[in-house]
Amino acid sequence: MPIREKGYYKWDGEFKKSYIKWLPIFINGIKSVFKKKKSKLLFSFAAFPFFVFLIAVYVSTKPELRMMKDLVKQIQSDAMLFYSFYTFGPLIFFMILLSLFAGADLISGDLKFNSFTLYLSRPLTRFDYIKGKFSIVLFYLLLFSLIPGILLIIAKIIFSGEFSVPLYVFLSALIFPIIISLFLSSFILMVSSLSSNRKFVIILFFALYVLSNSIAGIFQGVFKSDYFLFFSIEKNIKQFGSLVFNIKPDFDAPTWISAIILSFITFFFITILIVRIKRAED
Amino acid sequence: MERIIELKNINFSYGNFKAIDNVNIKIGNGIYGLLGPNGAGKTTLMKVILGFLKPSSGNGEILGFNIRENNITMKKKIGYVPEIDCLIPEMDGVALTSYLGELSGMSKQEAIKRAHEVLYYVGLEESRYRKVDTYSSGMKQRIKLATALVHDPELLFLDEPTSGMDPQARNEMLELINDISSKGAMNVIMSSHILPDIESTCKNVLIMNKGKIISEQQISDLNSKHFNIYEIRLKGDVKIFREKLPDCRIERGDKGVFRIQLPNDFPIYSIFKKAVEANVQIRYFRQSKVTLEDAFVTAIGEANAN
Repeated sequence: MPIREKGYYKWDGEFKKSYIKWLPIFINGIKSVFKKKKSKLLFSFAAFPFFVFLIAVYVSTKPELRMMKDLVKQIQSDAMLFYSFYTFGPLIFFMILLSLFAGADLISGDLKFNSFTLYLSRPLTRFDYIKGKFSIVLFYLLLFSLIPGILLIIAKIIFSGEFSVPLYVFLSALIFPIIISLFLSSFILMVSSLSSNRKFVIILFFALYVLSNSIAGIFQGVFKSDYFLFFSIEKNIKQFGSLVFNIKPDFDAPTWISAIILSFITFFFITILIVRIKRAED
Repeated sequence: MERIIELKNINFSYGNFKAIDNVNIKIGNGIYGLLGPNGAGKTTLMKVILGFLKPSSGNGEILGFNIRENNITMKKKIGYVPEIDCLIPEMDGVALTSYLGELSGMSKQEAIKRAHEVLYYVGLEESRYRKVDTYSSGMKQRIKLATALVHDPELLFLDEPTSGMDPQARNEMLELINDISSKGAMNVIMSSHILPDIESTCKNVLIMNKGKIISEQQISDLNSKHFNIYEIRLKGDVKIFREKLPDCRIERGDKGVFRIQLPNDFPIYSIFKKAVEANVQIRYFRQSKVTLEDAFVTAIGEANAN
């Protein structure tokens, strides 16, 4: 492989004057997640809750399908419809899987292959790097929560022929998936920053999620108190959903505590993430 | 001469260990070697200059940018080839190089075009669509160089660029470095512990030890410096002769010739005196050409003595 005869020559182009520094990380991350094996299979399954609710919306808006109303009576109100969709067990489960699929190796891979040096030798701050990584997980989580939510609103308008969704429900339907996606993104990225071993990251993330639900379930059963729901990630999400959509909660415990717990944990995870990345830089 | 790097009283510690100890340097245009034994602080100094590590005290300017305040903007004009393997394995050569070009602020089209150019330049044109984790260690060094060149920096930092390379690949890498710097296209700082690499590529050398810059000189000036180094051939018991000169560095060369470096205050005639005492004959005696290794060993020795 000899040196080319013409030798080194300078680049005569110009740098972009203004640009979003983390955008290439985002675009590259989106592509590489999409190229992963079985990504299409997972995405197909992740879209399943949307289709279930699409049918439910259709049934609820068509008087001629009155005989099926019992099946969809839980979603008679718009608030209930979106609360049920976003806190639907399979959707939360797929969001957990999507977090793992898109985020498990985002930072652990960089730790494993020393890729931080590549990023840090470019005009990027630590926060640009974190924003880029965050945006990848957020994209996939919102793609299967917020986007179907918006599509459900559109479907409801089309099926009923009028814009009947109250404004607060409309805003809640936009805000709730964003907050939950932020929480899950910070969770998976924090776990991903703890180890360069992808399998360890997957196991730890899943174990923390399952363990939190199991502990809450056991304590609730033993002590007969709903307050133990605060140990559970999934139940906190549901309680927080009740608060946002102004729905009577499933558990006899203040919903605002779940909001505080989720906010605190998100903040805590982001802090750990920043500390871990700073340590990796050194 | 334009000043490329100016550092004033830079200090950096890892916990209680002082990795950079009050470093003051002024570097102009051209190619500089940063030489030092393992653990001397070369990589840490590079990381401080590049803004990866914040110095605990001191300040400086790189290409007119303050290292504390403008280190992000500065990186548009800096290329860095780290010693460690740091690649994104699932990417191919073009994707990785253009991706890093985009992260430097190039448009996608420009980055892709330039990626092809630099991959061609470093000799990876045939492997540019192969995933980088299938590259040999020599190819990995080349791709690292390509990623450092993609945005056409004004200043290039090379940290042990020939590490892990076979002799042929090493020579080709050194040729590339010479080519980059010889046309004045780029200023280069090259850190290495391989003395011939520095000697064959650099015009100036900074020698580091224990976190300090202990010597700064031009390679071309080495011969004009008086290092008290001689080549001698002996007949007799060399071991006894060695014992008579405990403070001298004596190396066995080719064809029975020894290179002997005397302390500065050691008169030449004393060699003959010691030869008589050791009952050996000196059959050949001449002043030796000074190498970078001599300068390096002398500088390290003096620094340790102080």
